[in-house]
Amino acid sequence: MFSNLEFFIVEALRSFRRGALMTVVAIGTITVTLVIFGVFLLLVVNLGNIVGNVSSGLDIAAYVDEPISLEQAGAIQLELSKLSGVEKVDFISRAEAWKKFQEDFGEKLEIGEVIQDNPLPHTFIIKVRTPDLLPKIAQIVSQKSAISEVRYSGKLIDQMRSLVGVVRVGGTILVILVTFATLLIVVNTIRLTVLARETDIYIMKLVGATNNFVKYPFIIEGVLIGIIGGVLAFIILKISYDSVIFQVSSALPFLPIVAGGFILGIIYSVMVFAGTALGMLGAYISVSRVLKAEF
Amino acid sequence: MIQLINVSKTYPNGIDVLYNINLNIGKEEFVFIVGPSGAGKTTLMKLLYREERPSSGKVIVDKVDVAELTVDQVPYLRRNIGIVFQDYKLLPKRTVFENVAFALRVTGAPRSSIRRKVMQALELVGMLRRANAFPDELSGGEKQRACIARAIVNNPPILLADEPTGNLDPTTSWDIIQLLDKINKRNTTVIVSTHNKSIVDDMKRRVVAIENGRVVRDQMLGGYNV
Repeated sequence: MFSNLEFFIVEALRSFRRGALMTVVAIGTITVTLVIFGVFLLLVVNLGNIVGNVSSGLDIAAYVDEPISLEQAGAIQLELSKLSGVEKVDFISRAEAWKKFQEDFGEKLEIGEVIQDNPLPHTFIIKVRTPDLLPKIAQIVSQKSAISEVRYSGKLIDQMRSLVGVVRVGGTILVILVTFATLLIVVNTIRLTVLARETDIYIMKLVGATNNFVKYPFIIEGVLIGIIGGVLAFIILKISYDSVIFQVSSALPFLPIVAGGFILGIIYSVMVFAGTALGMLGAYISVSRVLKAEF
Repeated sequence: MIQLINVSKTYPNGIDVLYNINLNIGKEEFVFIVGPSGAGKTTLMKLLYREERPSSGKVIVDKVDVAELTVDQVPYLRRNIGIVFQDYKLLPKRTVFENVAFALRVTGAPRSSIRRKVMQALELVGMLRRANAFPDELSGGEKQRACIARAIVNNPPILLADEPTGNLDPTTSWDIIQLLDKINKRNTTVIVSTHNKSIVDDMKRRVVAIENGRVVRDQMLGGYNV
């Protein structure tokens, strides 16, 4: 068996070198598909990450215009916190808010010189258990007589969510289509290398080689093409995404981009594995077809 | 060794190539199949190693009905039949040694025995000194010797040669036929299809003549013509 394995590998490399142009085309096709696939995966992961980030900081801000006492504020706070789905209610008085605002921006803007009076309202920050409850709770809170205005970023979240949904569905369809197209191209490309070796195959079969024996070198060749295509896709994707991370983190620092960790590792290894699988499957299908056509 | 019983062959395009052939070839016989081009000689050969199946009738090789073999069994039939081609079918980017070794390697033969067997085969056909040459460095006769070496390296009990001298000059043709005769004397059944009259007449072996897909003559110690 060992000497057979050596034979298969030597034959695969021989064919790999001989069909240089075909090999390059097949590798290029696999690389392009996988890069598209990888970009899609990164897009979905990042959109999911942004949505997750925004929703985890999901608060309803409820403003009170009229002056209220601390007791009144306490009563409202208690009332709000009893609403179902509410996790926590914080009260920020106008004075606190003004002080914090001045601390944050006072020096830069010299705001104290422009505005003498505190323009800020009292604010209740309502933390909600799940994002789904946001619109409902916001509506209930807005009906309280003491509350003059309610704000939350629900619309944005809903839009982001449906965007992620569209990207997922559209991307999945795209990836399936592109994968089929790639498989077709890989099958046909490898078929050309198989056909280029038709005499070899004919002779092999005449001297009594089994079908599997004829197949193995081609499948090894396909795996080789797939691995190279996958590694190239990985390198291209990594370099491009690293530069995207760099650009985004300097230009749009507030955007929570996925910059590392487990999930990126998975996406990068998917490149190599999917490439290998594509190459192997493509070779298997094409050589089986040619063998069926032979005697 | 080989039996054809009422064998007919019609190709899918409707052309009848062989019609009701009955033929018995014994162990270690030397048989010429003669007839004009298109008579069905090549198809007859192809039936024996199952490149083609008969449309009707039975082809029996070494007690086995060839048409009944499964795809998995066909390779083992072919390991018992060496085949020599008019156009040699040597792999161009491999040396003579590699071409002959290829026939052993694809049957999964152990590596240790390959070199010895290839050398023996090359010695038998007189090509030992040309072992490292590539096919395009060889003369026609040398190519045919390499092709014969590949056909016999596995020691098959049957050797088929389809127009083995078709591309060779008379002297070389005679050398090749002598070589096939030598292989026949080493207990191999040899079947040679040819339309080379002088060779058939000089060898005085069994002659099976085919015309228009029919056996028109089967004669021991025959000549090309009656």
